[in-house]
Amino acid sequence: MPQPGLPPMRTVLEYPYTRTTGPVIGAFLTGIRDGRLLGGRIGAQVRCPPLEYDPGTGAPADLDPVEVGPCGTVSSWTWVREPTASHPFRHPFAFALIVPDGASTGFLHAVDAGGPERMSTGMRVTIRFKEQRAGAVTDFWFVPEEDGAEPAPPVEGGEPVTLTEQPLSLTYTEPYHPHRVRFLTGLLEGVVTGQRSPVTGKVYVPGRGYDHLERTLMTEEHDVVVADRGTVSSFTEITPVRYHGQKETEPYIRASILLDGSDSPITGVDIRTIPLAEFRVGLRLRAVWKPEGERDISAFDNRSTGGWEGVIDRWEPTGEPDADTRALEEHAF
Amino acid sequence: MSHDFRPVAVVATALTPAYASFAGPEAALVMTCVNELLETTGLRREEVEFTIAGSCDYLGGTPFSFVMNLEGVGAWPPVYESHVEMDGAWALFEAWLRLQCGDVDTALVVGSGRASAGRQREVFALQTDPYTMTPLGTDPVSLAGIQARALLDSGRATEADFAAAAARALPGASVEELLKADYWCDPLRAHDVAAPADGAAALILAAGDRVRELPGTPVWITGMDHRIESHHLGLRDLTSSPSAARAARGAGVHEGPVDVAELMVVHSPEEVVLRAALGLDEAVPVNPSGGPLAGNPVMATGLARVVEVARRIAAGDARRGLAHASSGPCLQQNLVAVLEGEH
Repeated sequence: MPQPGLPPMRTVLEYPYTRTTGPVIGAFLTGIRDGRLLGGRIGAQVRCPPLEYDPGTGAPADLDPVEVGPCGTVSSWTWVREPTASHPFRHPFAFALIVPDGASTGFLHAVDAGGPERMSTGMRVTIRFKEQRAGAVTDFWFVPEEDGAEPAPPVEGGEPVTLTEQPLSLTYTEPYHPHRVRFLTGLLEGVVTGQRSPVTGKVYVPGRGYDHLERTLMTEEHDVVVADRGTVSSFTEITPVRYHGQKETEPYIRASILLDGSDSPITGVDIRTIPLAEFRVGLRLRAVWKPEGERDISAFDNRSTGGWEGVIDRWEPTGEPDADTRALEEHAF
Repeated sequence: MSHDFRPVAVVATALTPAYASFAGPEAALVMTCVNELLETTGLRREEVEFTIAGSCDYLGGTPFSFVMNLEGVGAWPPVYESHVEMDGAWALFEAWLRLQCGDVDTALVVGSGRASAGRQREVFALQTDPYTMTPLGTDPVSLAGIQARALLDSGRATEADFAAAAARALPGASVEELLKADYWCDPLRAHDVAAPADGAAALILAAGDRVRELPGTPVWITGMDHRIESHHLGLRDLTSSPSAARAARGAGVHEGPVDVAELMVVHSPEEVVLRAALGLDEAVPVNPSGGPLAGNPVMATGLARVVEVARRIAAGDARRGLAHASSGPCLQQNLVAVLEGEH
């Protein structure tokens, strides 16, 4: 839908996953790190990758390692014409079920074949290891047998692989929700827009596009402008701890502020210029906006409630007497 | 075995359109359905004794979106609720189990998703084995391509069969024309893959005296089961679906004629596999709604199959129907529900 002045928003979601391998997958990944492909014998079958259980019965199975490959036979395949950002190649390639020589069942992996005309069910492929290996399935891929060279002899003597690290990164791109467009356009103009419930008359800031208590959808006709001054209804001092993506190093205040004319506080408001000792529930504050043209709404997306620091330079005490804190009890969050 | 269960009926259904990109939050999709259901049944929200939703935070990239979605149900008074990080069809299963306990007679079931913001192939690669598959970005479309190839190689299907399944979902399309399209994930073409959409499906279940007290035509769930196979593709026969077949047996599919079936065919070759596994011959109409290839509101697609079957039975167009949902690559997990009208 057209949104004058606001391009689609982009969100990147990242989690750094670390997983223990256990003894069976650990041995498999250690083998890869060393430059060999390991299967595991369970009964009469050799499974690659090896399993911690008998797939027929679910009974636990210790690793009975069997070196398989380095060549194998394709049992099914697809030609990936548009690789995703998560795929092992940027150029088209095949995903294939490959039965490594010596194994009983197929192993899903990538074949770098150049073109689909070089792929066929029953074709022979051979493993190609990267020179630098971490002990992961991304340390190798397969190529048509005629493209393969004899793999280098395995490197012995390294520590066993017991952990895997997999940073996860997903990108989302979407238009701002319509009510969000109006709210953010307002911020760029120096006004705070909320929505008044047609059922209860309560004013929510920012609007959600609906009244979540009355289950009523709200549109532009329910928009109202509220004051850029209000009362601290709750706050916390945040002492930064280290985590992936953390940029803060010094303690700071995060506050909820009930803006005059509204019935729900704005939340996650950064306070950097008022000392903790002077900060309190009931304190009256007014917004000091950044100059027009310097306001940045990029920290507001369709999801978060924070981002006020992009448009408001700081919050200053108004000098008015404190508000009655008992009236703020309903607005602690 | 299905006969030993407490009778549970679908008494109202709601379905949003499958939007290419819905202009609003997921909770608004949920709210639209919930309001429609309450209006249809005359129930006040607090009379709904149990609420359960199926959705996926990774889908729209919103941590705790399943909590935000509850705003669509109404944030007050407090909701007795549960959630599955799965298609709403599995929420239906949990609600059905919950009603078996006997102390609760009404349940609201929702499935919802906003797929348009993310890159679905990357999102659902996270559903695969975290050591041996996810690092390679093993996405559902590529894996469906491998399943399609296995079907062709086995002689159980032709590319024309895939195109025929796709053509039924595309008004005016012919198999001949579709087969001229370029491959996308060979042997799949773009029209063989359901485009992810935004949307929601919901229904109200009732049991005991509640069924007669509520308006409308009850549609009884006479059996439901779900089964799963290995996450390692190499351990599976991709040309068949033992889990779907077993779920069908568990749900009692073969204890009577099937007048209509709605199958969660997200990749056209899956229809071939499912028809065989579920024992549906050519006489059984499959996906008269168009099916997921015509509208795929991710995380609601499976529950929407139940809604479509229930509506046909309630309208008198069918007496006994089968609804199927799947989860995981290449039909890894399958749920089957049998719905029947009044006898």
